[in-house]
Amino acid sequence: MLDWSTAAPAIGAAFLASVVEVVEAFTIVLVVATLRGWRPAVLGTGAALATLAAIVVILGPLLDRVPLHLLQLVIGVLLLLFGIGWLRKASLRAAGVLPLHDESAIFARETAELSAEVKRQQTSQDWIAGIAAYKAVLLEGLEVIFIVIAVGAGRGLLWPASLGALAACVLVLGIGVIAHRPLSNVPENTLKFGVGVMLSAFGVFWTGEGLGVDWPGQDLALLAFAALFLVAGLLSARMVRQPAGGGL
Amino acid sequence: MSVLKDVLSELFSMFVSDARLTAAILVLVLIAAALIDATALPPLAGGGVLLLGSIVILVASVRRAARARARSPRK
Repeated sequence: MLDWSTAAPAIGAAFLASVVEVVEAFTIVLVVATLRGWRPAVLGTGAALATLAAIVVILGPLLDRVPLHLLQLVIGVLLLLFGIGWLRKASLRAAGVLPLHDESAIFARETAELSAEVKRQQTSQDWIAGIAAYKAVLLEGLEVIFIVIAVGAGRGLLWPASLGALAACVLVLGIGVIAHRPLSNVPENTLKFGVGVMLSAFGVFWTGEGLGVDWPGQDLALLAFAALFLVAGLLSARMVRQPAGGGL
Repeated sequence: MSVLKDVLSELFSMFVSDARLTAAILVLVLIAAALIDATALPPLAGGGVLLLGSIVILVASVRRAARARARSPRK
């Protein structure tokens, strides 16, 4: 039986983080499909998904062999590094200090770069395009795998978190195939801000548990931590806001 | 090899987006661990230091990055 006080943040974090990553990967896959057709795009994507599946199949069973407290501590510290890094960047973007992520601009830039690369290499142009799709899906997929393992492994929630990530993939790809253009309307910084909040909260929670802290309220403490990180992120964005701030 | 290099670079940048931020978080975890394991304080005190320290590090890191950006906007 699922304990929803832990499962809901885990599934939500996996879903939202995956939306961000899949949108980024989809932009590159679309560049490849636009320049060289869907064949290299689909082949590159399929090969990357097979590589990611192999990584999960090989590394997944090893997680069961790691003592729970050590697993919580290691994952907790990695989550702190990853989550606070995301939250920091999202706060700086919300304040207008860093420019917002623009999928349309990335699409244009990647199209120009891949076109130049394809022109340089007269032979095997589809191969180069396929490799570009492969790398994009592999690199963004690695982040998704880490987030799913990080929010799911400590409480036996790997399957629910994986389903959250899978739902995000299906949703983004479905919308992307219908729209057939970069998904620039996705409020990426808001999602990144929310995911950064949740991952930072999980990071403190798991690190504490790994060190032997018995948090008051058990899993409900996660929600309190998330609220604190949310306020801290918003306040820090407000403190450094530029006149033409990017907003969330 | 380029793919492998990119994968390793991506994995590194996932956890080390800013060297000072990474160092500060690792030092904070060590302090919390020392408070829990090496003092008579209840473990929750170490947990509190970890939570509040993380928040202070976040705010300080955002402010530092904004100041650095203001000094050299193209950085």
